Amino acid sequence: MAERGRGPHGSAGTPPPRSRPPEAPGGHMVGGSRQPPARRELESKPLKMADDLDFETGDAGASATFPMQCSALRKNGFVVLKGRPCKIVEMSTSKTGKHGHAKVHLVGIDIFTGKKYEDICPSTHNMDVPNIKRNDFQLIGIQDGYLSLLQDSGEVREDLRLPEGDLGKEIEQKYDCGEEILITVLSAMTEEAAVAIKAMAK
Amino acid sequence: MMAAALGPPEVIAQLENAAKVLMAPPSMVNNEQRQHAEHIFLSFRKSKSPFAVCKHILETSKVDYVLFQAATAIMEAVVREWILLEKGSIESLRTFLLTYVLQRPNLQKYVREQILLAVAVIVKRGSLDKSIDCKSIFHEVSQLISSGNPTVQTLACSILTALLSEFSSSSKTSNIGLSMEFHGNCKRVFQEEDLRQIFMLTVEVLQEFSRRENLNAQMSSVFQRYLALANQVLSWNFLPPNLGRHYIAMFESSQNVLLKPTESWRETLLDSRVMELFFTVHRKIREDSDMAQDSLQCLAQLASLHGPIFPDEGSQVDYLAHFIEGLLNTINGIEIEDSEAVGISSIISNLITVFPRNVLTAIPNELFSSFVNCLTHLTCSFGRSAALEEVLDKDDMVYMEAYDKLLESWLTLVQDDKHFHKGFFTQHAVQVFNSYIQCHLAAPDGTRNLTANGVASREEEEISELQEDDRDQFSDQLASVGMLGRIAAEHCIPLLTSLLEERVTRLHGQLQRHQQQLLASPGSSTLDNKMLDDLYEDIHWLILVTGYLLADDTQGETPLIPPEIMEYSIKHSSEVDINTTLQILGSPGEKASSIPGYNRTDSVIRLLSAVLRVSEVESRAIRADLTHLLSPQMGKDIVWFLKRWAKTYLLVDEKLYDQISLPFSTAFGADTEGSQWIIGYLLQKVISNLSVWSSEQDLANDTVQLLVTLVERRERANLVIQCENWWNLAKQFASRSPPLNFLSSPVQRTLMKALVLGGFAHMDTETKQQYWTEVLQPLQQRFLRVINQENFQQMCQQEEVKQEITATLEALCGIAEATQIDNVAILFNFLMDFLTNCIGLMEVYKNTPETVNLIIEVFVEVAHKQICYLGESKAMNLYEACLTLLQVYSKNNLGRQRIDVTAEEEQYQDLLLIMELLTNLLSKEFIDFSDTDEVFRGHEPGQAANRSVSAADVVLYGVNLILPLMSQDLLKAEYSELVETLLSSQQDPVIYQRLADAFNKLTASSTPPTLDRKQKMAFLKSLEEFMANVGGLLCVK
Repeated sequence: MAERGRGPHGSAGTPPPRSRPPEAPGGHMVGGSRQPPARRELESKPLKMADDLDFETGDAGASATFPMQCSALRKNGFVVLKGRPCKIVEMSTSKTGKHGHAKVHLVGIDIFTGKKYEDICPSTHNMDVPNIKRNDFQLIGIQDGYLSLLQDSGEVREDLRLPEGDLGKEIEQKYDCGEEILITVLSAMTEEAAVAIKAMAK
Repeated sequence: MMAAALGPPEVIAQLENAAKVLMAPPSMVNNEQRQHAEHIFLSFRKSKSPFAVCKHILETSKVDYVLFQAATAIMEAVVREWILLEKGSIESLRTFLLTYVLQRPNLQKYVREQILLAVAVIVKRGSLDKSIDCKSIFHEVSQLISSGNPTVQTLACSILTALLSEFSSSSKTSNIGLSMEFHGNCKRVFQEEDLRQIFMLTVEVLQEFSRRENLNAQMSSVFQRYLALANQVLSWNFLPPNLGRHYIAMFESSQNVLLKPTESWRETLLDSRVMELFFTVHRKIREDSDMAQDSLQCLAQLASLHGPIFPDEGSQVDYLAHFIEGLLNTINGIEIEDSEAVGISSIISNLITVFPRNVLTAIPNELFSSFVNCLTHLTCSFGRSAALEEVLDKDDMVYMEAYDKLLESWLTLVQDDKHFHKGFFTQHAVQVFNSYIQCHLAAPDGTRNLTANGVASREEEEISELQEDDRDQFSDQLASVGMLGRIAAEHCIPLLTSLLEERVTRLHGQLQRHQQQLLASPGSSTLDNKMLDDLYEDIHWLILVTGYLLADDTQGETPLIPPEIMEYSIKHSSEVDINTTLQILGSPGEKASSIPGYNRTDSVIRLLSAVLRVSEVESRAIRADLTHLLSPQMGKDIVWFLKRWAKTYLLVDEKLYDQISLPFSTAFGADTEGSQWIIGYLLQKVISNLSVWSSEQDLANDTVQLLVTLVERRERANLVIQCENWWNLAKQFASRSPPLNFLSSPVQRTLMKALVLGGFAHMDTETKQQYWTEVLQPLQQRFLRVINQENFQQMCQQEEVKQEITATLEALCGIAEATQIDNVAILFNFLMDFLTNCIGLMEVYKNTPETVNLIIEVFVEVAHKQICYLGESKAMNLYEACLTLLQVYSKNNLGRQRIDVTAEEEQYQDLLLIMELLTNLLSKEFIDFSDTDEVFRGHEPGQAANRSVSAADVVLYGVNLILPLMSQDLLKAEYSELVETLLSSQQDPVIYQRLADAFNKLTASSTPPTLDRKQKMAFLKSLEEFMANVGGLLCVK
């Protein structure tokens, strides 16, 4: 791990690399210290990004996040910063000295709270990316500040709060007027929130 | 009105009160009072025949601001009432104003200038009337000058300056409500006679002062003013006769005016005493940096003298010879001040740019040699000082600017060298080249970072991505140095080779030491990285210079091997052993000097192979797990160089050259082992870089650009696809597995583009079939498999499904980017299938903004790259697809309300992309190759004769669809930003103006468009007009 030996040039805030499979001791001759695991995979079976992402088991067992090399992140994509699922609103690179290696500077906005987070790390590092889901449900009732939402399966879920603020008021008002509306629910890393409404097509 | 109603004392009282209000601190008066006070002055200035009142004010009031307003009122009224006024009273008014100023030496500067401006306006207005005798004013001024009183002389200078600026142009002058033609005519009359008189007066003053021994502070201030005035005269933008209205404005906006006076100036300016005077003046004041600016600027203007002033070539030669003599006498043997560097280089640059080669060569040989020697000396010396400035991190880089100018002059000088005997510049080129290299290399070979106190320790600073790469930031310098290197190829090519080879060996050794240490004690590194960084920096500059020396950077054109390089190689080809040359080229892993007979190889090929040796050391270090020690910057330099080199040299088209060097055609010609080998080598490099350097976006990007270069020309692509590696790369990429999927999205798109381009190389049908099966079909199959799953609707939010979709959409963008005229038919049909499916995706992912965004982007790219080639029915297909997309988008977003933190920005991005899509579609109206190029012949049966639907119709319909989605705020902020972006991309001022007008018209009738139907109709109507305006405009263009 010589690249870490050289260090991120003293930036103490650099998080340790996450979710990265341990490297085989002795390693491969070819490929340098960066991506031996990746290379091995390249030669064997395709389509697996990393060990903790399982494609076959589907929804139930899917983990909340998956790792991605910093350089493959993109603006408007998502990333976990300080343990929070964030949307990347700014992404820039810099280096220390003309011959230094790239570092990525990320600015993200918490998709639930709107709080801003920043991080800087070597561009070879893996970052966690949250699995983001959006589902539309029909609103069939509002009770004690909770929404009653009709799921595709026909079951009704009643565990989602009526959002605060304008959207919440809008939902209540539309519901009171008897309008049929769909509610988009955003979920990531075990959190959920209603984020949008849309009048149902008649 | 006011003047008539009130007596002069009341008027004065009122104005003085108003002035008090205006001058009061903001806290003391309210807005209303301020506006009232302003109104008083405005109406005062509009009052009829205010002359008597104004005179009275000037004579009695003590409030400066009121005096200023009185002067303004006179100036405006004189012009307004000119034809009603008696000439005598105008004359006396002018005399009054001049006398007034003369008698009051202590007037506030701004009051004095305003009164003199009024005088100048009167003189100008009268100049075409012949009614006022302008000459008298010069008589008066010359009397003032001869008074010997510095204050009076200063005043005289102010009068002349006021006249000069009033007549100088139509834009800088006071707004006196006269036509541009009037201003133009005034200027022409003025520059023939009066301007010259001003110049003569100025020259007299300068002569007088330059003779004096000791100048006190007051006198040198007067001196300085006249010097500035002389500069203004010499920088006069002489208006040629018969220049149309439109051109006058363009002419006057030009920067860097060269001195091109009319014939009538011949005696004045060709008098050698004038030129000598300015050299004398400069020698006298050169230590005063402010004055030196002006005197050098005067000389630079004189150095640019050209046009009808010269009766014949002989007079031009005499003038030039005289000037160069004066210049050399002035600067030889002195130590140049910092403040002189830019001025002196401007003089030289003007001489070389303005005087034709045949005039330059006609001056006495010895003089010309001294001049070129002096230029060489200055270039080297400024270069060293510029390097020092960089080390010291100075804010004001005067030497860098001066150095840039001189290097540019060299480029001008040597580019057209048939006027000089062969080899004339070689020794000079060697010197400048050596000094450039020396400044950029570390000690002991060079002086980089060396200051008077030893080596400066440059702190490792943070460099942001916005910082331009050296190869772009210093591209002008490098182009000049590269050119000089070609001229002195005999010296420079071997020099670069040995410097590079030596550093390759050192780099190799240094990396080995690091490796041994890492093996001995893993984790701890005591070896200094400075040695490595110094080597990287050296190699960085050597590769940049080599790249600029060996090849030109061309866009769109086929770059040719520079003739100097070709000649050099041919000249030595008889001494060259081809086999050893090929051996040097083909064994980048070995030391060049270890190959027997290495000195009998082609020098150009050996220089290339020196870069390949750098590349090989890099590759070996990667294999030895030392990637973290390598410099991504150097990696970038290597692939940048290889791309530049490959474009020019690889598979040279012999038809383009009169003669071709045997070593070149043997090593890189068509059907040679050499070219096959090197393509394999480059491809290997690309593949290695893409996996090792996926985290370095710039380097990865330069790498895929090299790949594109390898396949964008059919001849090279034919060889590329014979490499097994190429197929592996294609398969790997299609499988979306690491490491290629670590690459950033733009790099992946370009990689896709390259893979598609490669598919159009020459192969037998079976191979081609197989290739597309490997490259494009997996894309289609995987995509269809995902979207055709029964429960796709339920699974669509699963991460792996989303990733699959994203990767497909990204790839589609890359495929669209690969569009060329000869493949559009195939690619369009391929992409069209996807577009239809994408519309379905739009429905499925309607609540997922990032996917929606990417879907629209695919459409944007396809429209951008393909619409211009499409015939009518294909274009209709695309229009339909786009409109369906917009319909679905509109349906899904109407009535949707979002609160997530980025909702607003995302919606803005969608709309921006949609506007871009519509703009791309609209471009069909102006750029359409489909009629001339029948790329779809055979694909498109039975075209309708007349076009029923135009792109503009489609776009209008599209705008109609999305308009309801634009909130007022969005429209106000984002739409205007869109407009500004569009406008700022226009360089031609005329087009800019027309576009701006068109946009103004568009929004004027309905700002801002709302959901209201009536407004919408109004907007659509304006939009239609807008389309017509802009369409016509771009067609004309």
